[in-house]
Amino acid sequence: MLTFAGILVVLSPAVLVALFGISTLLRTPVGETVYSRCTAAAVSTGLAAAVWILVAMLMTDDRQVEVSLGDWVRIPAAAEQHAGEPPGGAVGVSPHALDEPHFHFTMKFMFDRLSVPFVIMTFVLCGVISAFASRYLHRDGGFQRFFLFLSFFLLGMILSSAAGTIETLFFGWELVGLSSALLVAFFHDRRGPVVNGLRVWSIYRLADAAFLIGAMSLHHLSGSGDFSGLAGQGVWPEGRVDIPQQSVLLVGCLFLFAAAGKSALVPFSGWLPRAMEGPTPSSAVFYGALSVHLGAFLLLRISPLLDRSPVLSGLVVLLGAVTCVFAAMAARVQSDIKSSLAFASLIQVSIIVVEIGLGFRYLPLVHIIGHACLRTLQLVRAPSLLKDYNSMINALGGVAERRSALEQSRYQRMYRFAMNRGNLDSILDEFVVRPFTAALLWSDRLERRWTNWLSGENK
Amino acid sequence: MSVVSEPVPEAAVVAAEIRELAELLPLQGPITAFAFLNPLQGLEHLPVFDALRQAHEIFGCEPYLRESEYRDLVARGRITAEDVQEILQQELGVERRSVAGLIELHEMRLSQLLKLVYPVSLNELDWVLAEADSLRRFQSTIPLEHRERLLNETRHWLQMVETSGESAALQLIRSVYRGGRREVSEQQMESICAGLLWKICLQRLESVSAAAGSAAGLIRLRDAVLAVTGQDPDELVHDVLSGFCAGWLDQGYAQWQMPNRDSGFVAAFCAVYGQSSTGQRRWLRGLPEALQGLCRGAVSPVESICQSLSGLAVGDADRRSLIRQSLLALRGWAGMLWQTETRPDRVFRSSPNGTLTEFLAVRLILDRLAAEWLIREHSGGRKTVGDTVLQAVSQTAQQQPLELTARYQAFVLLQLAELHGWSPQQLFELSEEGWSELAGAAVAFDQLERRRVLHLAFEQHLSRQALDAVSRRATLPLVVPQTPQVQIVTCIDAREESFRRYLEEVCPEIETFGNAGFFCVPMYYRGAAEATFTALCPVVIRPQNWIVEDVVYSLEDSHRQRAVARRILGRFSQRFDSGSRSSVSGALLTALLGPLATVPLLGRILFPHFMAQMHSTAGQFVAPPAVTRLRLERPEGVPAGPHDDGIGFTLTEMVTMSERSLRDIGLTSGFAPLVIFMGHGSSCMNNPHESAYHCGACSGSPGGANGRALAAMLNDPRVRRRLRERGLDIPDETWFIGGLHNTATEEITFFDLELLPSSHVGRLRKLRGVLAEACQRNAQERCRRFDSAPLEIDQQAALLHVRERSEDLAQTRPEYGNCTNAVCFVGRRGRLRGLFLDRRSFMMSYDRAQDTTDSMILARILGAVIPVCEGINLLYTLSAIDNRGWGSGTKLPHNVTSLLGVMDGASSDLRPGLPWQGVDIHEPVRLLFIIETTAESMLQIMDRNPNVAAICRNGWAQLAVLDPQSSRIQRFLNGRFEDYEPRLGQLSEVAASREWYAGRRDHLPFALIRPQLAVVGAHEALVE
Repeated sequence: MLTFAGILVVLSPAVLVALFGISTLLRTPVGETVYSRCTAAAVSTGLAAAVWILVAMLMTDDRQVEVSLGDWVRIPAAAEQHAGEPPGGAVGVSPHALDEPHFHFTMKFMFDRLSVPFVIMTFVLCGVISAFASRYLHRDGGFQRFFLFLSFFLLGMILSSAAGTIETLFFGWELVGLSSALLVAFFHDRRGPVVNGLRVWSIYRLADAAFLIGAMSLHHLSGSGDFSGLAGQGVWPEGRVDIPQQSVLLVGCLFLFAAAGKSALVPFSGWLPRAMEGPTPSSAVFYGALSVHLGAFLLLRISPLLDRSPVLSGLVVLLGAVTCVFAAMAARVQSDIKSSLAFASLIQVSIIVVEIGLGFRYLPLVHIIGHACLRTLQLVRAPSLLKDYNSMINALGGVAERRSALEQSRYQRMYRFAMNRGNLDSILDEFVVRPFTAALLWSDRLERRWTNWLSGENK
Repeated sequence: MSVVSEPVPEAAVVAAEIRELAELLPLQGPITAFAFLNPLQGLEHLPVFDALRQAHEIFGCEPYLRESEYRDLVARGRITAEDVQEILQQELGVERRSVAGLIELHEMRLSQLLKLVYPVSLNELDWVLAEADSLRRFQSTIPLEHRERLLNETRHWLQMVETSGESAALQLIRSVYRGGRREVSEQQMESICAGLLWKICLQRLESVSAAAGSAAGLIRLRDAVLAVTGQDPDELVHDVLSGFCAGWLDQGYAQWQMPNRDSGFVAAFCAVYGQSSTGQRRWLRGLPEALQGLCRGAVSPVESICQSLSGLAVGDADRRSLIRQSLLALRGWAGMLWQTETRPDRVFRSSPNGTLTEFLAVRLILDRLAAEWLIREHSGGRKTVGDTVLQAVSQTAQQQPLELTARYQAFVLLQLAELHGWSPQQLFELSEEGWSELAGAAVAFDQLERRRVLHLAFEQHLSRQALDAVSRRATLPLVVPQTPQVQIVTCIDAREESFRRYLEEVCPEIETFGNAGFFCVPMYYRGAAEATFTALCPVVIRPQNWIVEDVVYSLEDSHRQRAVARRILGRFSQRFDSGSRSSVSGALLTALLGPLATVPLLGRILFPHFMAQMHSTAGQFVAPPAVTRLRLERPEGVPAGPHDDGIGFTLTEMVTMSERSLRDIGLTSGFAPLVIFMGHGSSCMNNPHESAYHCGACSGSPGGANGRALAAMLNDPRVRRRLRERGLDIPDETWFIGGLHNTATEEITFFDLELLPSSHVGRLRKLRGVLAEACQRNAQERCRRFDSAPLEIDQQAALLHVRERSEDLAQTRPEYGNCTNAVCFVGRRGRLRGLFLDRRSFMMSYDRAQDTTDSMILARILGAVIPVCEGINLLYTLSAIDNRGWGSGTKLPHNVTSLLGVMDGASSDLRPGLPWQGVDIHEPVRLLFIIETTAESMLQIMDRNPNVAAICRNGWAQLAVLDPQSSRIQRFLNGRFEDYEPRLGQLSEVAASREWYAGRRDHLPFALIRPQLAVVGAHEALVE
């Protein structure tokens, strides 16, 4: 029964994506109400199934439910390969069983104390936001597009939260990244959103690259991408890994890099405020609540690695702390509500990362959930700022001038740092983008010269 | 851009130029006091269509709808062929002129406007030529006999040329048809004919139109850089400036205030950018050095501007346009700087004098740095700024737009030739003069001209509907209740049209009036639970009086307790808000209380109505006690001011104001026992543009306090005595009440009811029943415009629907405000009573019989009403025409910034104006004023008031006068009044408003409501 519920959790957003995707591809004109009703139905089904799992787990004290959709790709160890087995519906067979394949990509989902709260939170917030958006985007030309992206996002979030293998997590992670970048560039008739969307996308790609390398190394080291395998016999968060310390550090650093990109930790923080280009509800659910926490989620998921390596944990704490200081300063000079909330989110995300680094497991989880709900509410209410501010002034009986106690030149320096957002973006441009494009251009020139020489053109 | 170097211009001249050009910047101040002003006020001294053409060039915004949109309007019947013909006749005169002996000019234009199958713009041309079959097939719409004739004549010509062997013609024919085979199918012939026509048009036009076209003006350095490198320096500059301006203008949102904020724009800019910072963007690395002069004070901002300009080698003529374009490039922020500089009374943190100049100085420095950097990057350091400019100039000179325009005109002529059956031979043999005439006629009627004529036709259609309806109604008798039981004075606002109509429908013994919603009582007002004064009067007026609301003495203790409770709550919410955005307390709050946020989150979004009720119930515990008074009077001789002694009006001021208020609307006799002054406001959630839904005549605030103040004055026996001395006799049994109509929720609030004499209580009780019914009907009518309300919605459900809209966090259209406004009537209500005006008309009451012979009253009414209504109308109209350009774009990505306005997304220019969600059903037409007076009086008023004259004579609004004694209407066209011929045809008559609009969402024609026209008899009286 629980397996059925587990399948339902994953299936409902997948069906939604298929529905919206196909209707978009076929260009069938579908009304706004159909879109919002479908979303509501999918979300409530998924949510009900997830709650069911939660209740069952609480009652039976079963702390881990695994749902496997079988191997989607299987490359045997032997030289002759029959690649690409069709997606099987076989359920619940452990892939570890008999002959160990060279590589296999298993679609497997795991419901445990980490993923179930995350899945429930995702459904609740996405559901609320879709209800909000169905009125907020009424009559907008991009209504259907918005809901299509939202369904992709929902599927991505559910896949990565409930992922039982590192590959599944990566699959969901990619969907989240893609839909995020597309929603940042939602208003593609203006330049700003497109430029910023591209920036978000590039940083996600960097993070993805690190993730992919990390996942491959992990595969190489532990023989499979299963989290349950990785965690040995223990159930989250009590898993233990038996991989050499050095390798743990290496793989961990790659994952940390990926998490930093996704959660906008230093030095990638610049994209977070820039991502506030889409419609208000998408900013709320993506950058206030869900997608920004995905990096922290990844760290929680691979927490057995952190437990194994104190150095890695130290790095996590350090990165979180640096980001926290940076974000706290930048947040203080923002004069618009969305940037201000973006940095406020970043502060909390970085504190959550610090908590993870310090070895807490349940605390960051609670913190993530609380923060996501509160921040979504704040972002959704962002347009009320003027009214809220006014009623606050009325209640207080006037405006109080805020003055800094800091000495003038120091204050100026700090203000400048905060106003320039630490110049993180330009530093990335300078030390990553420039050399990178220069190298590409150089190879381009080289290739041209080479082909010209080959074809005998003298130029 | 001229390359001649000029001596450094006088600083004073530049400073004056900046001040002058600042008039072009957006006029919106803080968004919390939304100002409805003509976005093109700076060009009001020009005739409207010249101004629009200029504005198109200056601002780069569209002056009219797109041609395809007008075509849609034609298809929907909002423009008819007769309308277009009529406009063409007005434009071209009655006399018919022939073009090249082929066609009448009149007919040619009509074809160009309505009949071309492909009304393409220049940009679409190549696509249409490549994709559509238009060069091989005739248009589908050409008449059959033309088709036959064209084919026959072409066949005939082909044979003739083949036999005669005329070389030029033969050569031409050979280019589309090789000849040879005898039998040519009809389809082939069609293709040959179309091909021939195209070739002929193209050949002849290229020889004719060699003159047109000049290099597009490269005024700013940025244009040159963009043309050469393909990258926009403005993007770099605006990234810095938007962020900086937001921080500089911030009214207190950011926790850290900008250093040196109070020392001026340049000083603050120097504090932030005057020193190098690690990792600074490359193009900004030269900034500290470039700013040195300004920061040290060695160079004044104006001198710095002069230096920058001379660095750009700008001539005197170009200098002005350069300054203008540099100011307008980031016009939202620049405009807000200018507004806070010139109207410091409207903001908490104003800008010192000279801020705009300092902004320009900084901007020009940044412009130079960005341009230099992009050029260096693009050319690998090989090129200088001068080279780039030269290159850009030569590039644009080379890019001959000539060829494209020639093809464009050829395409237009090709379509015309097919439509009117001009054969290839006819065109081939047309003389040189004939061609230049033909081409000239086509060129003169360019895309903007066509759109202008279509726009005029659109306006004509609507104006005729309105004028016909008014003239028909005016033939019917005046409807005024003999002994009105209640008189209700509402705002002039178009939203109140339906409200008044329903009041009269529900209870025919009610008489209604319209007046500007501040009721001639301009004041700064502070409510009992408010901390600051708000100006309650039109934006153009600066009030001279301060009024506060006090809780009555007997409830003072409870007031004090509740104020303390509010302060505690306020401090808590402030702590919570800033705490949730900080680190340590934020962590505690989010981790501990965060999950609780799901309650308001789910509640507000899924059950908005329930949550709103909970919220208001809870709010009642801390709201100030219900019984309050306005502190209205101050002793004679004490100067007014925002301090305790200066609060209130003197008795004389009260008498003057109340007299003016009553005389303006002609309410000087026949007072009913109850007279209500009903201001209006609105309420909605989560909407930065909320102020745009409040009363425009109260600077975007609710106007309840004005009506309340006026009622209190008029209830004062001393005021009444003084008024009586001035011939304004208010009977003792008349009682005045102030009220507030919430146009979003359809709720009515009355003030100071505890003072109501017991003799009037029963009357008020009955009135409330009437009001409740009228509000329900009004809500029902409003619902027809909301897609999310079913068309068959009943009254109660409608009321619930509009209330839910205003309580919904996700609702971007709580109401439609003055959207769809098109007419403004100034005159006696009795003349229009019973006319269904579809909430499209502003209505001001005015009785000419009570005016002086030289129309003093009308002059002072129009002095306010014309600019105010014109401003509202043009803001809606221009925002609807080009919402991105004139309005603020879609609300969805709006981001409240600096507590002053909104910008798009993460960082952009400030976006003043109305959002798309506020204007999406607006029909963009200029307002039609219909004034009940004579043409002579109107002309006199125009002569006396230059502002009114500019608006009417330059055509910023349309004007007509309705004769006070008859149904004669005269329209103001081309500087004089002309008699209007109403079209015959019956105005529809219905039994009730509902019957007319039921089941329809779109704009409706006007109609008569029959029962309303009956002389009022003994209907259900309000007397006990």
